[in-house]
Amino acid sequence: MQETIATLDHIRRSVPQIREELGVDPIPVGAIRDPAIYELEKERIFRKVWLKVATAWELPDPGDYKVKELPVADTSILIVRAKDGRIRAYHNVCTHRGNKVVPSKGFESFGRARANVVTCRFHGWVFGTDGALKSVPMEDAFGHLDKACLGLREIACDEWEGFVFVNFDPEPAQSLRDYLGDFATLFGGYPYRESTTAFRYSTVLKCNWKVALYAFSEGYHVPTIHAGSLPGFRGIEHSDFKLIGPHASSTIYGAGMDTAPSTGIFAGVLHGSDSHAPRPDLLPADINPKRRGDFQFELPNIFPNLLIHLASGCGYPGLSYFTHQFWPLDHGTTLWEGINYFRPAANAAEYAAQVHVNALHRNAWLEDTATMEDTFTGIMSGAIDDMQLMDQEFLIRHAALTLNSYLAGDKQ
Amino acid sequence: MTSTDPTLLPAAFADLAPLAARWARPTENERNAVRHAATAGEFAAFHDALLPRLDALLTYLRDCPPRPEDPAQRNALMLACAYAEAAPHHELYGGSSEVPFSFDARRFVADHGDEAL
Ligand code: FES
Ligand SMILES: [Fe+2]
Repeated sequence: MQETIATLDHIRRSVPQIREELGVDPIPVGAIRDPAIYELEKERIFRKVWLKVATAWELPDPGDYKVKELPVADTSILIVRAKDGRIRAYHNVCTHRGNKVVPSKGFESFGRARANVVTCRFHGWVFGTDGALKSVPMEDAFGHLDKACLGLREIACDEWEGFVFVNFDPEPAQSLRDYLGDFATLFGGYPYRESTTAFRYSTVLKCNWKVALYAFSEGYHVPTIHAGSLPGFRGIEHSDFKLIGPHASSTIYGAGMDTAPSTGIFAGVLHGSDSHAPRPDLLPADINPKRRGDFQFELPNIFPNLLIHLASGCGYPGLSYFTHQFWPLDHGTTLWEGINYFRPAANAAEYAAQVHVNALHRNAWLEDTATMEDTFTGIMSGAIDDMQLMDQEFLIRHAALTLNSYLAGDKQ
Repeated sequence: MTSTDPTLLPAAFADLAPLAARWARPTENERNAVRHAATAGEFAAFHDALLPRLDALLTYLRDCPPRPEDPAQRNALMLACAYAEAAPHHELYGGSSEVPFSFDARRFVADHGDEAL
């Protein structure tokens, strides 16, 4: 572990270093405002880089699948745990005439492939979970059909710590591990897969995806927008800045907040339990390296559209970590997904306490999301051409600069 | 939806039956509907009655599985979850059924919203 600390020193930045490296100039809002930029983002970012689409624990057994609609890649994908135990991803598109192999409801849905096959409902073509085309009704009537070449169209798919990523590039420029780079080291080793109790919320926001991403990428807003749900939040410190290629990270410390009486009692249940108590010792060595007692959570930005806030029970009681994702549906519409992850409750009291903590956090998200449509409307009005960014908004500055370099074709 | 009587509670909490009838529901979506329609007075009454009993209720629930099958245990959990979600409205939001200055809560879709306890 000592070795890890030494190897990651190069990603740490002081505030003067951040200012020096990223600058302090206002950042143009054109990339948010311009619909043409969105078309470029689809082509040069969302079809080129690794995107998180599932977790391994959503698909525990062979045959388990998830269907996810991804308008940003103009497709629907089928993510399935194949017979060999590996998770694979395919375009959810039948090679006969293009129907969806697995019909889906909403933006994502789950199911189980019985006997490890999925069957297109249109004419009954049958595909294995390994993608192979297994059978075709009235096959002889096709004259010639090269079944070996008519498997489901596979998408590059790989896992990191149980998070499942895909890459729409037929030949990804980098492996997932290389793409994540030092982020994988910084966040690696935490037992994410033990926190299988998930409370997932989503909503469709009338804003560009970056407005939503940026709103969740800083701690500057906490004392104001969260005055209702996080009253008396004391001693908030947003520091330990890190730059990691296209990704970045930082730490939220804080002395805590004025706890409401009910929260104190619910928190007591979780803090009194081995599996839900604060576990700073489980944090990867480079997160909160001094093991400060006021650590709340690590706030990273995994380019382009994922945040994994790692708390290990140190912030919101019992909350292991939470994720946000921002899926563009079109230039001015975004599907936001927020998921709170806990370790499974061992009894009904722990479950009720998790419901309380989840409600507090969901309510804070209601405060966050309240700003996004108004912000987008304001930017679309043309009244401002730039955003003014302070030190604690460096994740936004870094994401905006990274985006520009991808759009300019400097990175691929 | 549950076919069992939501007011059937463990003996030690039998006096909370009227609150259970008003607030306890098996799913998050149903509890949200109750919350969104509640008044400041109702939040206050629920809080004033439940907070002094919360320790005892959670102590009781500690001996129940996370998803109890026993109807009285399950109702006790439903009541605790209803209070878990209602308490902030009294303690933090001044009795408002909405989170102040927030996004429309009805636009948040909970994946688990229709999952019954
Ligand atoms: S389109 Fe799928 S079987 Fe015809
Ligand atoms: Fe926030």
